[in-house]
Amino acid sequence: MKARSALSIQRDVIFALFVREMNARFSSYTFGNVWLVLEPLMMMVMFILLFGLRGRGEFGYVEPPIFIFSAFLPFKLLWQLHVRNNTAAVSKSRKLMGFRQVRLFDLFLANSFTDGGVFVVVGVLIGTGLYWLGFNPFPRDILLVMAWGTLLWLFAGAFGILCCVISQFAKEVEKVVTMVQMPLLFLSAVFFPMTIVPEPYRTWLAWNPLVHAMELIREAWFPLYTSPVADGFYLFMWAIITMALAMASYRLSWQRMLAS
Amino acid sequence: MIRIENVSKYYPTRFGPKYALKNLNINIPDDRDVAVLGINGAGKSTLLRLIGGIDFPSSGRIRSDRFVSWPLALSSGFHGTMTGRENVRFVCRIHGVRDTFEIEEFVKEFSELGDNFELPVKSYSSGMRSKYSFAVSMGFDFDTYLMDEIMSVGDESFKRKCTAAINEKRETANIILVSHNVVTIREHCNAAILLAYGRAEFYESVDRAIFRYQSL
Repeated sequence: MKARSALSIQRDVIFALFVREMNARFSSYTFGNVWLVLEPLMMMVMFILLFGLRGRGEFGYVEPPIFIFSAFLPFKLLWQLHVRNNTAAVSKSRKLMGFRQVRLFDLFLANSFTDGGVFVVVGVLIGTGLYWLGFNPFPRDILLVMAWGTLLWLFAGAFGILCCVISQFAKEVEKVVTMVQMPLLFLSAVFFPMTIVPEPYRTWLAWNPLVHAMELIREAWFPLYTSPVADGFYLFMWAIITMALAMASYRLSWQRMLAS
Repeated sequence: MIRIENVSKYYPTRFGPKYALKNLNINIPDDRDVAVLGINGAGKSTLLRLIGGIDFPSSGRIRSDRFVSWPLALSSGFHGTMTGRENVRFVCRIHGVRDTFEIEEFVKEFSELGDNFELPVKSYSSGMRSKYSFAVSMGFDFDTYLMDEIMSVGDESFKRKCTAAINEKRETANIILVSHNVVTIREHCNAAILLAYGRAEFYESVDRAIFRYQSL
């Protein structure tokens, strides 16, 4: 045994957890991963059927599959899955706490990295498929899309940690978070651009930070789209405050979380 | 030296805090193999978990400059859905071992699992599991090994193998052993900690500690 610095221990642990997660998701649960790709695909097919193959309509000059691809995938993987996995991280991996190197926070970090990786992989897969079918899956400004995606990813990760900490003391939180996800899907401008929402509702919906994430990604993705509400700073503030709360609550309660 | 300074550990319950350990002060020397004795519920396993750093004292602190193993217990932290080999890899990685193959093969050979080594850990019987977790810990060179009743399981030939492996490790390391088995303790230890009446006492002589323990 040789002594390592705290940082290198954490790096080793996160790497080990990351490999373990990836392994579990991409080797043993085959169907689960097929599902990750299949669900957005099915959504796209559904919307193509709903809106017809006109390639235009309420979305402006955007093809429906690309529209769904650019919004549903980040929402599904970066937000929903990420929040759910982080919320369940502790109860799922309690077994691993038998090693002093493994800290609860490492579980969250490893989880977040895995979910980010899954998002990139699934995105590239579906993007390639769309390109092969003759659509144009390339965003106008890919760096900007990635930046907003990262912000959404951070926000979701922090929110998941917060939910996890609270759920250790009130088990119901886990259920509430799962329950809220479905209405959120419809309230977050995933299937529609904010331009089609009439005024009083537009302001109300704009309180939801996820609306901003979706709209910002959309703005960076489509050349002709300008969002009436998107505000990067607002989303940024939500992310920062959630992260502060998550880390503070984690720091206050991680020992009690271990004991329970 | 592992110093346990004023350590208390309680768990909150409906009836208020329930103390597992209260104001413990012990020094565990580097060159002694220590048995932890006490009746059920005296806090033996808790003490081991605290030393192993997977649980934390409610007050007080534990200081040590040694590489202490994880507490080896029957239920120690292996992930049921991962295979024996994957678990070993995981443990290697978190301990900073990059070249995992050598340890994997060592564990496979030592644990006598054969092909079961490539199957998920949850499919192991309790005997296999104890062999496995013992083998994994023997793959690493710690300064102090923490063992919680791990040696009471397993067949005679494996026990002999364990004894041989431990004796080999004892040349460079020491062990802290929780056991109810007096024979095992006499065989492996040359000092003891007796947990009784909410206090801990360090005994230089195992026989004396066992005598006290049996007359509790």
